[in-house]
Amino acid sequence: MNMEKVFPIFAAAFAVIYILAVEFNWALFTYHPKIGEWGWLAQPARTGPPMYWYGWLATSLLGASSLSLIACPLVGRRPAQYWLGWLVPLVVMLTFCYLFRDFFLR
Amino acid sequence: MATFLVILHGLLAVVLLGGITHQAMSIALPSRNKSGIFRSFRAVSGTVYTNANIALFLAVAILGSIIYPTYRIAVRTYLENARLYGATGSFELKEQFVAVGLGMLPLYWLLWRRPPEDGGKPARIAVTLILCFIVWYGFLVGHVLNNIRGLFGL
Repeated sequence: MNMEKVFPIFAAAFAVIYILAVEFNWALFTYHPKIGEWGWLAQPARTGPPMYWYGWLATSLLGASSLSLIACPLVGRRPAQYWLGWLVPLVVMLTFCYLFRDFFLR
Repeated sequence: MATFLVILHGLLAVVLLGGITHQAMSIALPSRNKSGIFRSFRAVSGTVYTNANIALFLAVAILGSIIYPTYRIAVRTYLENARLYGATGSFELKEQFVAVGLGMLPLYWLLWRRPPEDGGKPARIAVTLILCFIVWYGFLVGHVLNNIRGLFGL
């Protein structure tokens, strides 16, 4: 595995999959903090609020790792695209600011 | 226990803040002259901070994830009832920024491991500055939220 080429793809893929996971609630698992229980995939609230953050992280980690492995042979002899690893996460962060604007405009 | 972990989380965040700010300044505004405190601050060798910053980022994030349920049940409910939507939103952004930062850590490690002459210098600057911003933002939001009742007389 060529880390020079894979790590920028991993950073970009992680950010994109993460924002999709948040937006569409693709949590790999859910934690119910009030009762201390875990459950697979995104589950509705039981007693108290459910927490999806851990599940979103797991989804992103799995998705970005898989995508990086798939991309590994595809990038071939192309030079490492370092810009992907910072520009895509930066755009994702700005998109989060836009998505959460209602918190600050109420 | 949660109070102890919050304090530890905050203390490690302070160390991380120092490390990542030193490193970011050393690459964004480098100085070879060590005369004066500001130039000395920028004249450090950024490379030596990398592994410590990664370990601290992970440690702070893991501690944050352990105390997160306490925030979710007690603090966020309080903020929502008090209609402090800006505070709630600031924390929501913090959690998303930290997650994005976690995904950038392998690239950050790689960019500081290889010589900057190999074409990765702009990316090294950008990744370090983004992580520095995430750490500063997370620290300030966490600090304000932790003290919100005292700070705003609630």
